[in-house]
Amino acid sequence: MTSAEAASWYFKKAARIMDVGERIETLLATPLRSVSVQVSIELDNGEIGTFKGYRVQHDNARGPMKGGLRFHPEVSDDEVLGLASLMTWKTAVVNLPYGGAKGGIQCDPSNLSVKELERLTRKFVDQIHDVIGPTRDIPGPDMNTNPQVMAWIMDQYSRHHGHSPAVVTGKPVDLYGSRGREAATARGLLYVCREILRDVQRPMQGTRFAIQGFGNVGSHAARLFHEDGGSIVAVSDVHGGVMNPAGLDVPALFDYVKRNGTVGGFPGGTPCRNEDVLMADCDVLVPAAIGGVISRELAAEVRARIVLEGANGPSTPEADEVFEQRGVLVVPDILANAGGVTVSYFEWVQNMQHVSWDEARVNGELERVMKDAYERVGQISRTRRLPLRTSAYVLAIGRVGKATVLRGI
Amino acid sequence: MSIPAALLKKLVQIPIFQGLTVPEAAEFFEVALEQTVEPGRALFREGDEGDALFVILSGTVAVTKRDVELATLSTHAVLGEMSLVSPGDARSATAVAKTEVTVLKVPSKRVQKLIKGEHLAALKVVVNLAQVMAQRLAAINERLVGADLRTRGGDSKRAELADFAGILNRWSF
Repeated sequence: MTSAEAASWYFKKAARIMDVGERIETLLATPLRSVSVQVSIELDNGEIGTFKGYRVQHDNARGPMKGGLRFHPEVSDDEVLGLASLMTWKTAVVNLPYGGAKGGIQCDPSNLSVKELERLTRKFVDQIHDVIGPTRDIPGPDMNTNPQVMAWIMDQYSRHHGHSPAVVTGKPVDLYGSRGREAATARGLLYVCREILRDVQRPMQGTRFAIQGFGNVGSHAARLFHEDGGSIVAVSDVHGGVMNPAGLDVPALFDYVKRNGTVGGFPGGTPCRNEDVLMADCDVLVPAAIGGVISRELAAEVRARIVLEGANGPSTPEADEVFEQRGVLVVPDILANAGGVTVSYFEWVQNMQHVSWDEARVNGELERVMKDAYERVGQISRTRRLPLRTSAYVLAIGRVGKATVLRGI
Repeated sequence: MSIPAALLKKLVQIPIFQGLTVPEAAEFFEVALEQTVEPGRALFREGDEGDALFVILSGTVAVTKRDVELATLSTHAVLGEMSLVSPGDARSATAVAKTEVTVLKVPSKRVQKLIKGEHLAALKVVVNLAQVMAQRLAAINERLVGADLRTRGGDSKRAELADFAGILNRWSF
């Protein structure tokens, strides 16, 4: 099951627990608009390359739609739709005035030159510029897309519509990007983690973390948890992993990664496999790599009491059930990793107002948003005796539902 | 079948059997049948005629509606209790064994007979059941507001939205 399929499964489960009627359920699940285009560009060798591009806009009841744009060989319309709906629920959980969208271009960016990627991005914008915009649909970075790609989107859109920095987020800090955007997802994890540790009456000092994935989310999470007094006992990336029950020397690990490009082989611990990190002896497990890594079998072996979902959909629904039976607290992706889209929203707010916030303001506002969201989800979980994930979906359906009813159909 | 006293003591702690003495419970469960259901087999399906109540003695049962799992029930949970007072009505959900499941099956005909004979045990169970139903009725009343709109204006869209708004209010967002 892909993370997109898992998301729609969790949505249906929450909708049926709430006893939402079949027609309303269909209305909430069906996308507002789904655009697919053939993006043809000239390749560096003079040939014509044609790629499939998608933009799915799921729901705009709560505001302009927001969601990433990914470049990946396995992008499909079904997947993009599932991920667009995930964005609707995620923005609703953290109460941003946004709906959900997602897009992608089916391509293998490792086979394309920078110039080809630029032509591909600009051509795609030419083909969808009519349906996106600062008050319609605001793309952002996702798999294999970075601040440079966002800068091209801003530039190309502005050629059609005039200067429009707010059409896209995740831009470079030097081109209308927001301070604090890069570490935002990890910082959101930190703020939510502080709240849940307080709930289970455990100090951050000495709490042991295992982190799978050392990219944008995992590496910043390791640094932030370490700075906050936590002990990082295991980390891994695609190339390998390292664990040390006494806690890894995080600054030395960052130096090592800077030189070698991977955590594998770091001398301050014993080497381990990627799966070993998931089963490491720790208090908090942070899966921050890709979706679907925790299967039913693996969930039974997880030794952490808290799972903080840094990635989208790291636990399969079967694993989720095992966690529930074992009493493992799972902070679901749509709450835990919402820090990224929250700071994207702050970037858009700054662009709309032509101002620039300092990093302390960004982080302070982020902390407030994450705390509020955790508080509301926790409240539903306690009063309705539902797991945090179902509670988060219930909250999201409630917020999107209220907006839908008030606006009328 | 005759039920061991130890089990009867546990059964009378289940909400709908609360207030029954052990001898009363013994009488109520006198014709109950113990059934074993293999994993993956259904106890009953959505739309089936409801002809019995089930008490899970061991194992876990998944309750699903339109293919989505709503709840997992295990030892001492009660299923199909509505069939006691309205025998023959369609089951509102499907119940499938997730593991090997042992259940105690009480045919609703037997309970009807006990009620007619004014047996205290059956009457106590009916009173308990009435309390559960009163709570459910309160929820249904809200939905009726939506249904009323539908019949008056023939405006099914408004009714559907009113119904949904009722759900959102009940969940107090």
